[in-house]
Amino acid sequence: MYYVDLAVTGVTFGCMYAMMAVGLALVYGLLRILHIAHAAVFALGAFVTVVVANATGSLALGFLAAIVVAPLFGMAIYRLLYEPLLSYRPDVPMIASVGLLVLMQDAFRIVFGEQGVTFHNNVYAFMTFNLFGVTVNAVQIAIVVAAAVVFTGLHLFTTRTRIGVAWRATVSRPKIAASFGVDPIKVRYLNFALGSALAAIAGGLVGLLNNFVDPSIGYVVSYKALAIIVLGGLGSVRGTLIASLVLGLVESYGTIFIGQWLDRDAIAFLALIALLMIRPQGFTGTRTA
Amino acid sequence: MRPMNLLLGVAALALGFAAAQPARAEIKIGFQAPLTGFAATDGKSSKIAAEMAIDDINNAGGVLGQKLKLIVYDDQAKSDQAIFTANKLIGEDGVKFVVNGSYSASGRAAAPVFQKAHVVMISAYGVHPDITRAGDYIFRLVHLGPPQGRATALFIAKDLKLKTVSAITMDNDYGQATMEGFIEAAPKYGIKVLNKYSYSLKDRQFGSIVASVKRDNPDGIYATGYFFTAAPLVSQLRAAGIKAPIIGSQAFDSQKFIQIAGPAAEGVYIVDSMDRDRKDAALRKFFAEFTKRAGYPPESVAAECYSAVKLMADAIKRAGAADPAKVKDALAATKNFPMLEGTLIGFNKLHEIIKPISVNVIKDGKFKFFAKLDNLDAFAPPEK
Repeated sequence: MYYVDLAVTGVTFGCMYAMMAVGLALVYGLLRILHIAHAAVFALGAFVTVVVANATGSLALGFLAAIVVAPLFGMAIYRLLYEPLLSYRPDVPMIASVGLLVLMQDAFRIVFGEQGVTFHNNVYAFMTFNLFGVTVNAVQIAIVVAAAVVFTGLHLFTTRTRIGVAWRATVSRPKIAASFGVDPIKVRYLNFALGSALAAIAGGLVGLLNNFVDPSIGYVVSYKALAIIVLGGLGSVRGTLIASLVLGLVESYGTIFIGQWLDRDAIAFLALIALLMIRPQGFTGTRTA
Repeated sequence: MRPMNLLLGVAALALGFAAAQPARAEIKIGFQAPLTGFAATDGKSSKIAAEMAIDDINNAGGVLGQKLKLIVYDDQAKSDQAIFTANKLIGEDGVKFVVNGSYSASGRAAAPVFQKAHVVMISAYGVHPDITRAGDYIFRLVHLGPPQGRATALFIAKDLKLKTVSAITMDNDYGQATMEGFIEAAPKYGIKVLNKYSYSLKDRQFGSIVASVKRDNPDGIYATGYFFTAAPLVSQLRAAGIKAPIIGSQAFDSQKFIQIAGPAAEGVYIVDSMDRDRKDAALRKFFAEFTKRAGYPPESVAAECYSAVKLMADAIKRAGAADPAKVKDALAATKNFPMLEGTLIGFNKLHEIIKPISVNVIKDGKFKFFAKLDNLDAFAPPEK
């Protein structure tokens, strides 16, 4: 049962990472920018969810507000921060991105307080189900379901809809896509909107799971999601999903062997270094930076 | 350049005057606290509590016929700011007595500066061992990590009568030091530590540790952590169906812990946590007045800063003069001083406190007194 428990934990970690990291992978795929401020979008999503849910008493409204606000913020980051810097070397927008993350962390601290915010009414964090002898939390189930829906939806969107195909075309061959009449600027906005909405959902769910949103909630995203997209083969959605799940499981099972000496972040990064030494091109290997 | 020179001249003149003014009317108490930055919550509580102590002392007639004046500097809980403000306190303000109401990083950096200038310093709640090692002018008002860990082992064996424990610690200095004390003392009391786990302060997801604890199937779980890690950890342990009692370290002691962990916080024991139930008029008054000034009930850090200022004033009174050399001796000779957190029996050679440890349990969303550990030898602080 122990190993099943660890697998459930690992898959939950993995789904969480995947929803955070996919926006990052999309931005990198399109613009070759390491969008580190994505962590701030994630945190903003979490804060909007908890604040609106507490104010209105409705968790659904909280999530809805986050899904509206975060994409606007994400698109604003593109328009105001990245677009003016696109003509420079890729490390210039990246440094701007780091700056924005630091700024936002302190902004959250000033606006929402040092101690963070708790959901007034959060029954889900304490609701558990017994599935074949494994105890699973309601929010854990929600995270896995949300990730499954999101990735299936993303797959259908990019393969079955006109706009999705156009998007994919822009990511892989921007010039040819443009010559077919696809507006690359619209695709960029779509990219930021979609990635930010997913990060906001992930942020809201993580806040719900912890019953707590603090200014540093985005911290994990800021570096772990970067590791994931590197491992996933920079810019690949499928690779990001695989890398997220692998990392989640490695962290989870890693505690059996070295949990006494190292925390799970250290385990994750040891695994990352080892994997990159074996496969520097990442899991999917179709794309290299 | 000219107007600048003129300004400097005026400033120097003003400073000269300020220094020449006889300051007999009041005794200055320097105070360092993190008023901005990541530790600002604690800094705010610390400052309010210290100001309350000053007001209470002055309303009761001051010390040696003089009023006390608090001189507050923001150290951002950072070493460089602590040294900078320590030098300001010494050089510009001419302060002879300081309460450091800040974190270890600050206290550890400031202590040698004050020691060198022969300024008496009390660290209200800094837990790093190096603070008191700076010299004989430096005192500390909380228990160090290892004694807290040893007291926890005693409590788990004698009061809770548990035999097997899973141990979970945050990987910072304080967490590790406290856990070392526990692991070292546990076998003495017949406790078997089944497994030890470590987590990062940034982590909020403890699924794999929870699964491992479930497999350990211990009689009890000992964890160190701050409210922002402790609350999710406890929630996740309970959500996994683990029913074993949870014993938390001092840093669990925060209203926010109860708020976040909700129903999961019920029944959690906190070792070396403030006894809020004591029928003590000063404590009642402190709670009411602090809540009025701050808008929220006081945490341990507030009580510690209040007590630190009161103790400093008491030592000046006992020394009979605002002379640092005499005050440090008076402090070292402190016997049975009533602090808000209980009676301070005294200081040891290293100026670490000798004081019983209280254990709280959380019941109906409130801290309730559970036990008092007064087997002082079991958690004697280090002497060097």
